[in-house]
Amino acid sequence: MGKQATEMLKGTLEGIVLAILAGRSAYGYEITAWLREQGFSDIAEGTIYALLLRIEKRELVDVEKIPSEKGPPRKVYSLNAEGRAYLDEFWRTWSFLSERLEQLRQGGNQP
Amino acid sequence: MKISDIATKVIGDKRRWRAYKARTRQLPANYRAAVEALERYLMFFGAADGDTAASMYEDLIDLFERAAADGTPIREIVGADPVDFVDTFIQNYSKGGWITRERERLTNGIERAEGLDEGKRS
Repeated sequence: MGKQATEMLKGTLEGIVLAILAGRSAYGYEITAWLREQGFSDIAEGTIYALLLRIEKRELVDVEKIPSEKGPPRKVYSLNAEGRAYLDEFWRTWSFLSERLEQLRQGGNQP
Repeated sequence: MKISDIATKVIGDKRRWRAYKARTRQLPANYRAAVEALERYLMFFGAADGDTAASMYEDLIDLFERAAADGTPIREIVGADPVDFVDTFIQNYSKGGWITRERERLTNGIERAEGLDEGKRS
């Protein structure tokens, strides 16, 4: 993954994490692993952890501690109603952005 | 301000700080070295008040304990650019910190400057 892709991903990562959690509950490592499988190979597990802490503080997710065979309990995150509302807003913003950029690429709406 | 007051601001509650340090000592040497490197940065750029600072170090050690148990390589935890990771991490605690205060000062400074200019353009 190139520098440009990493930079672009940064602004959308929070929305991506919420979108993943809309499908199913997950813990941090599962989210990172899924992103890596999708080709986002540069994503640091710690960065996902930091984003999860952030959305937890903003109460967009519910958190459950599940005991683990080895090491401390795992925190499992699931999207709550507020998180869903925030995710809807993210998708609206994303549609706006991607439509405008596509127009720009097609040269249809040049200044 | 007494030295001990400054210390409390940087590391938070002493009991929680000692508990955090005890947990770092339980980590395998490589994870512990990584935590100490991050800790140094956090002391400098991190949280403003004691409570926030204490939870910041606790969240950090939570991450590394989990990673050590899973055997996650250090590079996968912090990524290609550790500064990028730690800055994302810090954002959760910076509220009220000196960086936040400076940002507010800048915002207010520009607002004042804008006020001085009023009416001169038209």
